[in-house]
Amino acid sequence: MSENRNIILSVKNLEVKFKVRDRILTAIRNISMDFEEGKVVAIVGESGSGKSVFTKTFTGMLEINGEVSQGEIWFEGQDLAKITNPAEWEKIRGKKIATVFQDPMTSLNPVKTIGDQISEVIIKHQGKSKSEAKQVAIDLMAKVGIHNPELRFDEYPFMYSGGMRQRIVIAIALACRPKILICDEPTTALDVTIQAQIIRLIKDLAQEYGFTTIYITHDLGVVANVADTVAVMYAGQIIEYGRVDEIFYDSRHPYTWGLMSSLPQLGEKGEELFAIRGTPPSLFEEIKGDAFAPRNNYAMKIDYEEEPPFFKVSDTHYAKTWLLDPRAPHVEPPAAVQELHARMLALTAKGGTYGERE
Amino acid sequence: MRKYILTRILKSILSIFAVVSIIIVMLFTMIDRTKIFENDPVLKKQKGDARTTYIYKKYDELGYMDYQRKVDLCKGVYDDASDYNACLVNGSEKQGEALGVWERKGYTVEYLKSGDPLVYHDYSALELLGHFYSQLIVVDSKNAVQDEANPDLERRYYIGKNPANGTPAILCSGCQYKYQLYFNGSFPFIHQNKITFNFGNSYPSNQGIPTVQVINEGQGAIKPYEQTFDTGLTESSALIQTSCQYKPTLDKLDSKRFSDHYASCLSAHESPSMVGTSYLMGIISLIIAYAFGIPAAIDMAQHKDKFRDKLGIAYINLLVALPSMAFIFFMRSIGTKLGLPDKFPQLGFGDIRSWIMPTVILALLSTPSLMMWLRRYMIDQSNADYVKFARAKGLSEKEIFRHHILRNAIIPIVNGIPSSIILCISGALITESAFAVPGMGKMLPNAINQLNNNMVITLTFIFTALSILAVLIGDLLMVAVDPRISLTAKGGE
Repeated sequence: MSENRNIILSVKNLEVKFKVRDRILTAIRNISMDFEEGKVVAIVGESGSGKSVFTKTFTGMLEINGEVSQGEIWFEGQDLAKITNPAEWEKIRGKKIATVFQDPMTSLNPVKTIGDQISEVIIKHQGKSKSEAKQVAIDLMAKVGIHNPELRFDEYPFMYSGGMRQRIVIAIALACRPKILICDEPTTALDVTIQAQIIRLIKDLAQEYGFTTIYITHDLGVVANVADTVAVMYAGQIIEYGRVDEIFYDSRHPYTWGLMSSLPQLGEKGEELFAIRGTPPSLFEEIKGDAFAPRNNYAMKIDYEEEPPFFKVSDTHYAKTWLLDPRAPHVEPPAAVQELHARMLALTAKGGTYGERE
Repeated sequence: MRKYILTRILKSILSIFAVVSIIIVMLFTMIDRTKIFENDPVLKKQKGDARTTYIYKKYDELGYMDYQRKVDLCKGVYDDASDYNACLVNGSEKQGEALGVWERKGYTVEYLKSGDPLVYHDYSALELLGHFYSQLIVVDSKNAVQDEANPDLERRYYIGKNPANGTPAILCSGCQYKYQLYFNGSFPFIHQNKITFNFGNSYPSNQGIPTVQVINEGQGAIKPYEQTFDTGLTESSALIQTSCQYKPTLDKLDSKRFSDHYASCLSAHESPSMVGTSYLMGIISLIIAYAFGIPAAIDMAQHKDKFRDKLGIAYINLLVALPSMAFIFFMRSIGTKLGLPDKFPQLGFGDIRSWIMPTVILALLSTPSLMMWLRRYMIDQSNADYVKFARAKGLSEKEIFRHHILRNAIIPIVNGIPSSIILCISGALITESAFAVPGMGKMLPNAINQLNNNMVITLTFIFTALSILAVLIGDLLMVAVDPRISLTAKGGE
């Protein structure tokens, strides 16, 4: 989409299929997207929209019944979609592209020491000796904010709190200085005060190490806080893509409007919270036209017939909806979305984190 | 940790106490006691008063009641010799008074056909327990032997050596056992006779032999070996000198061998004891089972839903579904086809062929559950989040299996290992019966059938104690392999 910048990862026409009890489910439907080096990209969308599956293809971690059926994933001159040999993946996973998962409580092996679990990956990918790896690990632990790392090196995960475990998970992910860090809902399982700390930590480390961050999240608050660009996913496709301010204040896709209107923080006392009616389409069947059409209050006849292309809003902002076609009638986004900016500023005045962004 | 273990041990002792007490009360009060004589060949030959006194004597010995003959009941009441003699005359006033004294103590008076009186008192449940526990633990001391015929018996402990191997030993004169503490090559290498358990004698089978000895003593022909006795005599004899106990009257042979009165010794035998046999068989089969089961389960888990996994599941299902009896006899006939004996005693202990089929069968019988559980634990673990994360770290499947999954999956298995090892001692009833192996398996059912009360109590005590010990060791092992578990009694250290 955006050319002439430093593209670290480039996805072209990606399609992922799963075999579920003799039926074929198409989880990712023809996604093309470029990731810029050093930037923070947030992928948002409701559960089942394919956010996690999309990023799992970068590290070859699809479930056993899934496969990349089409498309290319270019990273450092190599098409990741073509890798079949597990040994080749081992050179990328953890070393070049690392992942931080949702639940720090279960991400660490309960019966191995924290130190072992950090050193393990350093020994594996950097060929260091055990004592060298220990030193690196202790430095890392200090870096992610663990006090007395020498003492805590030999402790077990159950001796750590949730937030500290997530710090360790981040330390492990960053142990080999990866080019890309995928954060799959890194703060969902943490309480709010810790969430902010972890987000801050990832942000600081990204600046220091210069890696590209891909956030997968439901939490639009996090998105507003950290992301440079946002991709909105629906039913296995990216339906809107743009800089964070463009998505928040100038979104064009009715689904994005729906998402924004659903932010509970924006609800007014006494008013019912907004919800997008209906459910996402079944991905087992071929989807005709715009996948969002049946739930879309602004749907037109063409939405049921033909899939919309990406329309360019600005150099950095694209949306996949027929509403942007010159022939379409002009519609105004819902009031909640229009007032978003004002409401968010009001929230900040009450002590929120929005607006902390540079 | 120490406090925890102490509480555990205390609780364990209480549990053993409870179980054994229940068994004792059940055995002595709920089973018709006349039935114990059904298997006694001696009683069949006796008639009249001899029969009656024999029965009471046995009841007394076995702990059902306290029984006093005429002589004893008179002695119990009168110290004076003339009174005592008067009491011995049936129908005399003194005797009547004496019987009155016993009756007031709760005893029942009965008269034999000869006119001699006897008194007896059935133990109540509490008395039964008191009687049992008061003589359960015997602590040997240098004043233990009181022999009127031998008033000059020296009373001292001294350091000597074990004549069998020359290692130092603590010896005692005046104790029941000569060798108080000694070393030899059999497990646990250090042995003592200072504290012994007395569960009474076996009856009606193995009459007069302590139950512990029945279980423990070697079987088959005695096995003489060249040894030197303390008189300096060197000859071929089967006696085990470290087992020698005080013997009041020595015969000629004894005097030739022993310079003291410790001449009542056990003999070495060709074949191991019942415990030894079962244990050896159990341990070998256990090693086979683990050596086969663990790698098989790991392989199955690593190739879940592939052909070899399905093959393994078929094997597990087959063994679980098949009645073990059918499996044992089926395997035995295969063994016969291969030229292996179908009865253990045919070739005996010394021949390895006797051991092959029973051990292999025992091993195979314990593989299905081991394989099933380990496979399941491994598959559970391989779906865990930390495995996903380990994969995302770039570890190979092999590394993940070895360093992450196995460590976690083995924890519940480890807990069961001490039980498996220790409880080998209880033998395997069906397999041992099918092959007529002289082991522990049939001991308990036989003892129950023959109303061999002391044996039932002994075995209950041993099995309960070992089970509890096994569980304790299992829990301690868990602490060693799982850092999340720490042993602290309620309220902390």
